[in-house]
Amino acid sequence: MGALLAVIAPIGFVNEAALKLGRAIGGIAVALMVVAILVQVFFRYVLNSALPWPDEAARFCMLWMAGLMAPTAFRRGGFVAIDMFGRALPTKAGQFLNLILFLICLAVLLVGVEIGWNEVTGFGGKFKSASLYLPLGGGEWYRLPRSWMMASLLVGIVLLISVNVELILRSIVTLIGGGDRLQPIPDAETVGAD
Amino acid sequence: MLIWFLPAFLIFLMIGLPVFFGLLAAPGILLWLNGQEKEITLLYRNLYNGMDSFPLMAIPFFMLAGELMNRGGITIRLVEFSQALMGHLRGGLAQVNILSSILFAGLSGSAVADTSALGSMLIPAMEKEGYTRKFAAAITAASSVIGPIIPPSGIMIIYAYVMGESVAALFLAGIVPGILVGVGLMIMVRLMADRYDLPAAHRVDLTGTQLGQVEWWVSFVLVRLNIALVIWSFMPAPEGLSAGMSWGMLLIALLIAHVIFLGIRRMVSHDFRMVCKRAMVPLQTPILILGGILAGVFTPTEAAAVAVAYAIMVGFLILRSLKWSDIPQVLVNSGITSAVVLLLVGAAMAFKTVVSLSHAPEQLAEFILSLSENPLILLFLINLLLFIVGMFLDAGPAIIILGPILGPIFTDLGVDSIHFAIIMSVNLTVGLATPPMGLVLFVASAVSKERVETIARTILPFLAVEVFVIFLITFVPAISMTIPRLTGFAN
Repeated sequence: MGALLAVIAPIGFVNEAALKLGRAIGGIAVALMVVAILVQVFFRYVLNSALPWPDEAARFCMLWMAGLMAPTAFRRGGFVAIDMFGRALPTKAGQFLNLILFLICLAVLLVGVEIGWNEVTGFGGKFKSASLYLPLGGGEWYRLPRSWMMASLLVGIVLLISVNVELILRSIVTLIGGGDRLQPIPDAETVGAD
Repeated sequence: MLIWFLPAFLIFLMIGLPVFFGLLAAPGILLWLNGQEKEITLLYRNLYNGMDSFPLMAIPFFMLAGELMNRGGITIRLVEFSQALMGHLRGGLAQVNILSSILFAGLSGSAVADTSALGSMLIPAMEKEGYTRKFAAAITAASSVIGPIIPPSGIMIIYAYVMGESVAALFLAGIVPGILVGVGLMIMVRLMADRYDLPAAHRVDLTGTQLGQVEWWVSFVLVRLNIALVIWSFMPAPEGLSAGMSWGMLLIALLIAHVIFLGIRRMVSHDFRMVCKRAMVPLQTPILILGGILAGVFTPTEAAAVAVAYAIMVGFLILRSLKWSDIPQVLVNSGITSAVVLLLVGAAMAFKTVVSLSHAPEQLAEFILSLSENPLILLFLINLLLFIVGMFLDAGPAIIILGPILGPIFTDLGVDSIHFAIIMSVNLTVGLATPPMGLVLFVASAVSKERVETIARTILPFLAVEVFVIFLITFVPAISMTIPRLTGFAN
């Protein structure tokens, strides 16, 4: 158990730091989404001249917001699930089921990361975005490839895997009776579509 | 083989796999077993494409606007306003809870936000007044389902996105059903008040309330402007009316509105007026959103962004209740919640791919139509099915999975697509307050520290009212269709 706890600590530290950065960038992305759409409203209705980039820029920010912030929700137990069956089982059986569920999540994520990598580096990712340009200085502009947008989900899945590995190790420690020696993860949340 | 996607998904769900992973794992495994590995890539693509949507952006914006308003102290103003109107009735705070939910629904499209914001304030207050904690938690959870029915509504944005309906039409169609749920709950509370001797409350608890000068003037102008615009819209407009004449008529309407308020002023106390004025600025939000969409000025997504801007303006400049240090936390909170919703929507869109590949819609349609040819009987049966689904599944994924299967069947049978959207949305929204997977029950439990099972038992009379309203909406289409028809958003 000592070895497991020794592995969990650095993974937890890395996850905490990475997700903190993800939350900060995600928060900025939310603010930029609002600004982009308000700029569009101003140009379309006040100046009567719609801009080509705000809609796509806002979607770009939204995708990165989702990719960077969803892992925080997962780590805090904020992914909606029915846990009544697990709670109805004897403690050890419930903990074992929990471990199995995390392993299923890991399988889904590993398949996702493989497909995601192929998608981002593949044909579809090489297309250019419709209206997003990056200033390179000296009046030059770089038209962003779609892969920059598509990478949001891939990064999200990689972060989810990292969180999932931590949760798997924690559930193994809990299963072998060391739950009380684990550092608590910040409070569980209940979030949902509604 | 693929037809087993639904049982597989339900098994995953029941053993406790998060819905997001269940939506991907069940079809993924079946595709793999079926030798259709290439289609698994399609699942991934649809997950991404499902999230990459401009209309869906309204969801994070409405969540952000709601969070800003709540942080800016708007919830307390709505509760005080509700108390001023209904607090004196028997079972007063329970009635206040319901009215606050109706008003809060106009600011936020989320039942979870409603339960959390109102529950943390009203449940302790109700306990203090002599209500049991389980009753306070149950009425909070039951009334919070009004949140996604009255616009703005996250669920209706999702429905419109999946089914290609007009968000504005769905928003308008949800107004009366939402109010009807509220009125039904109020009647039930009134009946229970006699039977269980629920305590009365006071009309206005606040005395000597004063407003800042800016807020006083903004409320003064807003309330008159709103009434003037209503009067103006009913004024006869002769052909060839010049812009100057039109402005003149608006000025007359403003004068009439002012005279009306001078008359009302004598009939009510200073405290009552102040409490109403304090609620005026937040209550402008739904008017701004719906007015902007109806007038064709904004798309729903733009209206949501404007609602955020309004919330910031109100919080910083008018009420001065927001601080810059609040903003990062507000952005992060709304971002995390929205991220989970977007992933769920994306996963449900991916799941939908397998639904189509499996030919399940055709088989289900055939089965449903074999039960009866009478649309009314089928609507009754479908309501039962939706209610059961709502007990286990979150409303958003349920809409994405079942909407494309059920919607076309009933449209072909002559049910208006907007009417069906409202039946489905209201039914699945009520499912948020039903065990075992009632999201708002869990939030109410967390807020009140009462057991979910206890709240689930106490909520039953209120659920009965909501089921009755679902059937009313189902069999009286005019309840949901009148406003969209009057405003030209439905035929």
